[in-house]
Amino acid sequence: MIKITNLEKFYRTEEVETIALNKLSMEVKKGEFVAIMGPSGCGKSTLLNILGLLDDPDAGSYLFNDIEVADFNERKRADLRKHNIGFVFQSFNLIDELTVFENVELPLIYTGVAAADRVKKVEAVLDKMQIMHRRNHYPQQLSGGQQQRVAIARAVVNTPKIILADEPTGNLDSSNGNDVMELLTDLNEQGTTIIMVTHSEHDARYSHRIIRLLDGQTVVENIMI
Amino acid sequence: MGTNAIAMLKNYIKIAWRNLWKNKVFSGINIVGLSVGMAACIIIMLFVKYEKSFDEFHTKNIYRLNEVQKFPGMNASQKVGLSMYPMGPTIKADFPEIKNFTRVNWKEKYQTTYQDKRVFLPQVFFVDSTFLKIFDFKLISGDPNTALEKPNTAIVTAETAKKLFGDADPMGKTITHYGGDTTLFTITGVMQNVPKNSQLQFDGLFNFRTIYQSWMGSWSGNWLDTYFEIDPKADIAALEKKFPAYLKKRMPNPENVKYYELFLLPLKDIHANAGDIGLDYLNFQKFDAKSTNLFAIIAIIVLVIACINFMNLSTARSAERAKEVGIRKSIGARRFQLSMQFLGETVLLSLIALVVALILVALALPYVNNLSQRELGGPLYHSVGFILAIIGGAMFVGLLSGIYPAVFLSSYKPVKVLKGSVETGKNKGNFRNVLVVGQFASAVFLMIATIFVVKQLRFMQQKDPGFDREQIVTIPLSGQVQKNYEAFKQRLLGNAMIQGVTGAQDQLGSHLDQSGVDFKYNSEPLKNLAVTRLIVDDNYLDVYKIKMAEGKNFSRNKASIGKEYIVNESLAKMLLKDYPNAKQSSLIGQYFGFDSVGTIVGIVKDFNFNSLHHKVETMFLSNHADWGISQVSVKINAGKAAEALAFIKVTWDNINPDFPFEYQFLDDHFNEVYRADTQVSKIVGILAGLAILISCLGLFGLASYSAEKRVKEIGVRKVLGASVQNIVVLLSTHFVKLVLVANLLAWPIAWYAMNKWLGRFAYRIDINWFTFVLVAMLSVSIALLTISFQAIKAAITNPVKSLRSE
Repeated sequence: MIKITNLEKFYRTEEVETIALNKLSMEVKKGEFVAIMGPSGCGKSTLLNILGLLDDPDAGSYLFNDIEVADFNERKRADLRKHNIGFVFQSFNLIDELTVFENVELPLIYTGVAAADRVKKVEAVLDKMQIMHRRNHYPQQLSGGQQQRVAIARAVVNTPKIILADEPTGNLDSSNGNDVMELLTDLNEQGTTIIMVTHSEHDARYSHRIIRLLDGQTVVENIMI
Repeated sequence: MGTNAIAMLKNYIKIAWRNLWKNKVFSGINIVGLSVGMAACIIIMLFVKYEKSFDEFHTKNIYRLNEVQKFPGMNASQKVGLSMYPMGPTIKADFPEIKNFTRVNWKEKYQTTYQDKRVFLPQVFFVDSTFLKIFDFKLISGDPNTALEKPNTAIVTAETAKKLFGDADPMGKTITHYGGDTTLFTITGVMQNVPKNSQLQFDGLFNFRTIYQSWMGSWSGNWLDTYFEIDPKADIAALEKKFPAYLKKRMPNPENVKYYELFLLPLKDIHANAGDIGLDYLNFQKFDAKSTNLFAIIAIIVLVIACINFMNLSTARSAERAKEVGIRKSIGARRFQLSMQFLGETVLLSLIALVVALILVALALPYVNNLSQRELGGPLYHSVGFILAIIGGAMFVGLLSGIYPAVFLSSYKPVKVLKGSVETGKNKGNFRNVLVVGQFASAVFLMIATIFVVKQLRFMQQKDPGFDREQIVTIPLSGQVQKNYEAFKQRLLGNAMIQGVTGAQDQLGSHLDQSGVDFKYNSEPLKNLAVTRLIVDDNYLDVYKIKMAEGKNFSRNKASIGKEYIVNESLAKMLLKDYPNAKQSSLIGQYFGFDSVGTIVGIVKDFNFNSLHHKVETMFLSNHADWGISQVSVKINAGKAAEALAFIKVTWDNINPDFPFEYQFLDDHFNEVYRADTQVSKIVGILAGLAILISCLGLFGLASYSAEKRVKEIGVRKVLGASVQNIVVLLSTHFVKLVLVANLLAWPIAWYAMNKWLGRFAYRIDINWFTFVLVAMLSVSIALLTISFQAIKAAITNPVKSLRSE
């Protein structure tokens, strides 16, 4: 599903050049649940952003379903993204001006789903995330756990092939965090590929495989189970 | 796909609406600013359209004949809209491209009688029968081709017909004019009232031949307007080049040819592009296109200032929108879609502003109509084209002010904004500073311009013109009443409230006529001159307190009538131009005047008989009261104006019971002379005020934003011991600097522009530095006042509160 080879990414400021990814290579198969771990500044988030086509690499190859996407322009990246990738963020990133329903509906609008289908799909996913009763509330009116459930609902409403989660439990207490991890596991069991960046060994245990990064390079790959 | 586009649009509008609602202050500033700017623009647009509509209803290719006159005795040549009686027919005969001509002479307050009803028509035209073949004034009844063919025929407007005949059919009825001699006219046509946007304004058309007298046919006087219908294919410049040869061939006295040049002016240019043409009597609401264009430019500047507010406030708040951009992008929104979304918001906002603007326009129109003396809110305003134009314009304004924020906001990298590290970058701040400086520079420029325009106007109205115009009432005389001048004068002088009564053939402040005079210096050869003349009663200089420079005033006896002439200093200088060593006093007793019996008896100090746009021209006064007085001037006691006027009216009604009493204070007449200037100064002043208001609104928004953004910094500073003053200074310094830079930028431009504008006046104020400094202080104070509200609010907030809010 995902194969990157010798991926490089630099950040330049006026004085220094920092290497975020240093000839990194890795592969994620369809249906896998992979956790990426490592200390702060090891390049985890950079990697996740590149995998999610939010950022582009400076060198190296990125095959997404056997298609080279490293040199895609912004428009092509946006198109690929909206059909294939769902994001879950640590800070939820819901749009404050939209209700729960409208937030979840948004990806469907961008992918051009008809109105009647949208209502059905949004209701189904809200139901599944047990947040249906909050459909007309605004994000500020929800607890953190509820907000993250909405965010996950929004990430999966388009039935993406892959979900990228960036510390999805980072802003949640442990009970709410476990709920979220259960949800992700469910999704994975139904066939969605999941790549998750996390600091938490506890959360990482939900995955099939842990990739540990240090200074932009893969150090260890642990296969779970 | 269609429903999807609608869904997206709905989503955008929803977000836009909720955003507007959430940020009430910003939305309010933007909507108020934009709507005021738009209202100003719409009103100016209506004005410009109205101005452009002048004389547009004529379909033929019409030109007016004009002259450049340079007579001996005049300091400078003058362009006039007048021409001579024989010119029309002879030019038509000599040049095949001239298809038709008509001449127009006019009479004001023309007395007409039908049975026992007597009406003074404000202005009537005596015209050639071709008038209606050239001009598209529509007849309600009668045949435009033949109605004026015979002598003693007349066409009246619907309004005049109503006044004279009530509801009866006017056709074929006979009206009588009792003047020097009685004239009868048969009504052969009724015309629709003259449109307000016509330079020619009249209440009736009368056959010219009816009043023809043999002196009219000579090549000696310019007392009418000549209009031509010219072949549209004709080369006007080439035609004008042939006029000197034509004059040489046609004018009976070849000596006179050199005093005249002829030129043509398209009818449609006369209203707005004849600013330099004098004796331009048939040019209703003449208004220079330069002023109209100036209004349009300033109105657009005001709107741009409002647009800048929008850009500034949007980009300043961009951090708040950044997260939304990031999320939308991560979900798959394209940059183009995001740009469209933000543009949609600004378009929505500007459409809301348009609604407010239309309400403002409706509220302001009565005032504007009164100020401009035009009816701007007419059918034009309700036309589909105009409505589409303003909706289109509003959307354009929305796009214009949205394009920068849209491009800027949609360029955010989702990676960065979602991590919460939005850079509101230094560069963006700089761009915002540039815009603020631009705004305030425009506002400062307009402020300076307003001050100088108003000062110049006041200077013109208050400058001592060299004669006394306080408490002087002028009363027009015509026809029969002229004969009663002496009796009227003596009766008035019997009352203590009346300090003086005199008369003349013209009113000061208007263009005076010129006429030919002879002059002979000692035994030098006789010279023919043509200079401005004023025929006056013998006590004229006393009542008007015009000061003598040399010699004596007019004698008070019948024997000296027509023998004594008084010249002004300019004319004295001109007369002695060839005799550099001669003293001014040597002119006294020299041969001068209409005939051989006249001499110069005195020289008066120059006085401004014209508006201060013009230099004092050479002129003379002659005590020919026996030729007829057409303006009585009555000097009344200050403080008793009402009683004095009542007394004058009673006296008038006693002597001239058949004629309505009319009067005007000379001061009011001068205000009328400067009416166009007053209108310009008022409109520029209002627009300048709006520019400042809108700029300050923007500054208010930016200041509140900057205070908001620095809440934490302010809290920390206060914890560390900063005083309220420290904080206010901290928050204000930056903006004050911007306003000062704006001043420095605006000064040289204002200096240049004002010098140029003032150059149009013969008598003008000087540009002083003090005004510039004053405006700088004023603009900084206004800016400080605007900012300090926000700064003080931020400064007095309890720091514990602001620190906890993070």
